[in-house]
Amino acid sequence: MKIGVFVCHCGSNIEATVDTAAVAAASREFPDVVFATDTMYTCSEPGQDEIVAAIKEHNLGGVVVASCTPRMHEQTFRRTVERAGLNRYLFEMANIREHVSWIGKDRESNTNKSVDLVRMATEKLMRNRPLYSKKFDINKRVLVIGGGVAGIQAALDCADGGLEVVMVEKAPTIGGKMAKLDKTFPTVDCSSCILGPRMVDVAQHPNITLYAYSEIEEINGYVGNFEIKVKKKATYVDWDSCTGCGICMEKCPSKKATDTFNEGIGKTTAINIPFPQAIPKKAKIDPDFCTKIQKGKCGVCAKLCPSGCINYEMQDEFVTEKVGAIVTATGFDLFDWSIYGEYGAGRYPDVITSLQYERMLSASGPTGGHIKRPSDGKEPKNVVFIQCVGSRDKSVGRPYCSGFCCMYTAKQAILTKDHLPDSQSYVFYMDIRAIGKLYDEFTRRAMEEYDTKYIRGRVSMIYPQGDRLLVRGADTLMGAQVEVDADLVVLAVGAEAAAGAGELAEKLRISYDSYGFYMEGHPKLKPVETNTAGVYLAGACQGPKDIPSSVGQGSAAAAKVLGLFSKDQLESDPQVSVVDIKRCIGCGKCIQTCPFGAIKEMEFRGMAKADVIETICQGCGICTSTCPQGAVQLQHFTDNQILSEVNALCRF
Amino acid sequence: MKFQEELKDSIRKALPDLDVVLGWCGSFDPLHATPHFIRREEDIDKLEISPLSVHNLATYLPGLRGKKVGIVVKGCDSRSVVELLQENLINREDITIFGFPCTGVVDQAKIKKALGHAGNVRTCDISDSAIVIQTEDKAHSLTLTQMLADKCRTCRYPDAIISDYFVGDKIGEPAPLETDYAALEAFESLSVPERFGYWLKELDRCIRCYACRSACPLCVCRDHCAAESRDPHWLSQENNVRDKVMFQVIHAYHMAGRCTECGECQRACPVDIPVLMLKQKMNREIRDIFQYEAGVDPEATPPLLSFNMEEENITEKEW
Repeated sequence: MKIGVFVCHCGSNIEATVDTAAVAAASREFPDVVFATDTMYTCSEPGQDEIVAAIKEHNLGGVVVASCTPRMHEQTFRRTVERAGLNRYLFEMANIREHVSWIGKDRESNTNKSVDLVRMATEKLMRNRPLYSKKFDINKRVLVIGGGVAGIQAALDCADGGLEVVMVEKAPTIGGKMAKLDKTFPTVDCSSCILGPRMVDVAQHPNITLYAYSEIEEINGYVGNFEIKVKKKATYVDWDSCTGCGICMEKCPSKKATDTFNEGIGKTTAINIPFPQAIPKKAKIDPDFCTKIQKGKCGVCAKLCPSGCINYEMQDEFVTEKVGAIVTATGFDLFDWSIYGEYGAGRYPDVITSLQYERMLSASGPTGGHIKRPSDGKEPKNVVFIQCVGSRDKSVGRPYCSGFCCMYTAKQAILTKDHLPDSQSYVFYMDIRAIGKLYDEFTRRAMEEYDTKYIRGRVSMIYPQGDRLLVRGADTLMGAQVEVDADLVVLAVGAEAAAGAGELAEKLRISYDSYGFYMEGHPKLKPVETNTAGVYLAGACQGPKDIPSSVGQGSAAAAKVLGLFSKDQLESDPQVSVVDIKRCIGCGKCIQTCPFGAIKEMEFRGMAKADVIETICQGCGICTSTCPQGAVQLQHFTDNQILSEVNALCRF
Repeated sequence: MKFQEELKDSIRKALPDLDVVLGWCGSFDPLHATPHFIRREEDIDKLEISPLSVHNLATYLPGLRGKKVGIVVKGCDSRSVVELLQENLINREDITIFGFPCTGVVDQAKIKKALGHAGNVRTCDISDSAIVIQTEDKAHSLTLTQMLADKCRTCRYPDAIISDYFVGDKIGEPAPLETDYAALEAFESLSVPERFGYWLKELDRCIRCYACRSACPLCVCRDHCAAESRDPHWLSQENNVRDKVMFQVIHAYHMAGRCTECGECQRACPVDIPVLMLKQKMNREIRDIFQYEAGVDPEATPPLLSFNMEEENITEKEW
């Protein structure tokens, strides 16, 4: 094979600490290398043209580019060599940026290491073989996991684009966190007025199948052909006949059930519909509080239900759905603030979270939109807002900024004044982060028009004094200690990864960061893709996001799905395992270890042999390390290719 | 042996339904036994069970797959049978297992060392405690426990774990003469250069005959062994110690969590390289990480032959 080597300067990224000309000169001495050069930006158009020209001029059979990580530009250069008529797998990349120039300063050592990496790449390239993709049919349906505003947007955009959508929502109603909000910043328009119609659209869209109060049990398959097992949790109410009339809810004698929708402000009945605009508007029984289920007595709802849909014996049900792509929009949860002893760790009833306050402000909330102290039901006069509770705080393992708390705190301060004109709001803040259209103007308005007192500093302690709370903190701009007599304290609790995000990620085979937020394909260039083909992200599951960004991502994910489904067939990745049936002894060890169930037993001339299902194989290589005689080989990463790299490195 | 006649009766009963029964019989001199393939009624009388029955006959089983095979097993041999069953390399319904209580087998290397260059062996009498060997010029009396194979000195499974016929009285749980892995631990206390130097020296005399592999009951790749394969080309034919070390490392890795420490590799080695220690090292790691012992439960899945998203004792996230 005639090999050409291109050593990239990457501007000064590589050239500053690697003598690229020397690397190219050393490469010329390697077996099979007939051409080597160094270029300023190999990935640029002239850089790529140089590769194409060299392939033609020197009749090259393969190309090595020594530059950045293959994750950055492997696809780029594969297309380049393909443009010159070579098979895309007759290309190797030596990473001399992330693995060399960025991590070491010694120019001589870096140059030597780069030469070694190029030697490895040429040795492997000599053993590369042309590989060809196969085409397979795809199922043009999409699964949206999570029915918050991001999921709703993704589902509606996909459905409007003509795709069949399956939406799975964990809670009994869609709407997510946005449905719990009273108003939204910076326009102070009513949250349920703008979200409600979208929720109704989901329910009424002919292309959308909604599974509320359901969870993802199992995900099998691959891009284009996923098989999803959905667990429909028992609601004890037949949703096909429930009309949502609410009679059961009025008469249920068990009135102490946890009100999850209202964030625990107040209690609800054992059988309940979360809120009037719920989609689907169906009742469900909380079995922990239902007297009939717990003690066998009662049965009031069953007697009164006009449609006869109560079934105390209902069990979880499983359904299987086949889809071609998945949009994950599982959102976030609130940080458990009770870890903060200085805020009372949950002991004081008048210290509440921002989302609880949101429910209190809402006309459909448990207080009917009246701000009342949970302890005595009185209207508060002084309301203190504390920001960055579980955000930007390394001591509780949450060093990141939750992004939207500055804004909703300003909004809540404005609404407080609207509801109680005599009240006075105080905001303890670290910095005001109002980076968005009309955002800074909005916080200014809270201060200037609504007379909210912003105090830059942290609160060191809250303790009860009479029936009020004394909030003691620092004003770092004044350099003084401040004390505020508060009637109500609202904590701007930060966002954290949704409960169960890790388990879902494992089912989806996507990665997540150390806080549990899902990893995007590339932080800048692939914000809604994941590293698993056919799985996309939307909304706060990828990191804390406000409503406009979540909606934007929902639409972006939908655009990706529609783009994926614009073809009738997809190309499979040829970097999969292949069994050499001459060597296979049919022991089936590879079948046992394959994490994807991609290997099955077949019969060949009366003997058992292993057989790889190409479309399911993900190319992880576990089978190849399991097979003792090397009968299974991962294409493009065969034992011989890896051994040649090792031998190139360990020459002495 | 007192149960030998009982064993022969069992084999006689089972033989009509079997293609072959594997056992041991006398060999070229009174000090050695050899594997015995019983195909006809008259072959049964030649069967001899004694501390000379060293061979692990389970090695033959994968090659006889598809035939109805009877096999006489010591406790350690039965673990190989179990492991082969676990790995789906033999079919349980095709195998008839004859077990007996084993009191240990000799290590011919130890006897050879004790005798020196003694010439031909005339007679060999083995009692419960001693081996009396009459060579051409004199009689040697050796203490049996001292001549036992190392694996017998640490044996915890003298009775066959799995059997269709069991003759004699089961020994149950014996008190091993030595603790597991004591020799390995002593070796591990040496420094890395000392240990590497030891293996370079030991393996330098390897003649690459691959007897260790051929004797191993779990080396089932046969014609496709990594040692001789050219595609994938793991080992060269160069005469250097590097490739010899490489082969032993491959062998040890392939045996990790599968090896029952029957010691056939080391017994078969014509130049007495202590290759079993490499496998013991792997096995001890497997035991510590997975609490798993190979070849004791036919239903168990060997830990390296399964896939878990999260391993209980391996916390990758903390790496």
